[in-house]
Amino acid sequence: MMRIIVVGGAGLAEQVATALEMAGDEVTVIDTDPGRESALARAGLRAVRGDPTVPATLEAAGAHRTDVLIAGSRSDETNLVVSLLAKKHFAIPRVIGRVNNSANEDLFGDAWGVDALVSPSTAVVSLVRPPA
Amino acid sequence: MQVVIMGCGRTGLALATRFDAEGDQVTVIELDDEVRVRLPSGFRGRFVAGNGITPRVLERAAIADAEAFVALTPNDSANIVAARTARDRYRVPRVIARLHDPVHGPVYGEFGIATVGSVQTTVNRVVQMLHHLTLEPHQTFGSGETLLVRSRVPDYLAGRQISELYVPGEIGVVEVTSAGHSRVPEPSTQLRHGDVVSFIVAAGSLGRLRSFLDGTWS
Repeated sequence: MMRIIVVGGAGLAEQVATALEMAGDEVTVIDTDPGRESALARAGLRAVRGDPTVPATLEAAGAHRTDVLIAGSRSDETNLVVSLLAKKHFAIPRVIGRVNNSANEDLFGDAWGVDALVSPSTAVVSLVRPPA
Repeated sequence: MQVVIMGCGRTGLALATRFDAEGDQVTVIELDDEVRVRLPSGFRGRFVAGNGITPRVLERAAIADAEAFVALTPNDSANIVAARTARDRYRVPRVIARLHDPVHGPVYGEFGIATVGSVQTTVNRVVQMLHHLTLEPHQTFGSGETLLVRSRVPDYLAGRQISELYVPGEIGVVEVTSAGHSRVPEPSTQLRHGDVVSFIVAAGSLGRLRSFLDGTWS
């Protein structure tokens, strides 16, 4: 069992959180969608409201004792700031960042505290045209 | 100076216009391509449409040659990401980011980015204008956290030493004008009737300085 924080809202973040919860992990979502707390709660997820780029919100989600943080919002700048806070401020061992605009992909690395990135468009392209 | 400004709203537009008029080389980065028309006729700078957090957009703005980068979008996270990228990746020597929500202030500080905060600056200025009418600042620093204030010393302080005016962390004395001559005082310098003193004071200690000068400070 791992303790995991997922930052994001409906769609990718919610589905990832649900799948990990069903796999037996302890998941907390920092919900970045307005007015969706009840939907996340109905899905059986522990959800925290607030601005994820503020340390107090991450702390309320248990950032001091979490194993993994997934910065999975639809905003690259939010994901980068959250990742750096997770690594620098809370020393979270594994930080995963979602890339929304593939032109921003090379920002998602050590400079912003990101250990691994997920870039949907790059993933699809590599399935069609595998890297040489 | 070569300066790159990210965000062409009211502040970005005014700043770009001002730098251009002063002969600086300005490049504006703005998400909305239609904003281009707001730039004044005769503007000699460049306009780059795009999101300034994206490296290739910054590169189109010749960020590596810039001497200064100013991030002024309405999005605090975009401002800090672009500012930090300009500084660390493209070695821009002077970088400033705008801060809208004061709650993000500590994070900017943690990431080592200098900020201008519209909310905090306005709050400090209004409080100071309403509460401290007699102490008009000559200069404010940062977002208004410290101020330079000049005041004639009250008679009851004549004969006292400058060191008696110091309050560590709150009030310092940087200059004394005595009979028309200005100097940087020693701690042992004696105050005389009619001296005008320049204080550096923390915004939160203006009341203390005022009651000090009023003679109501116990």
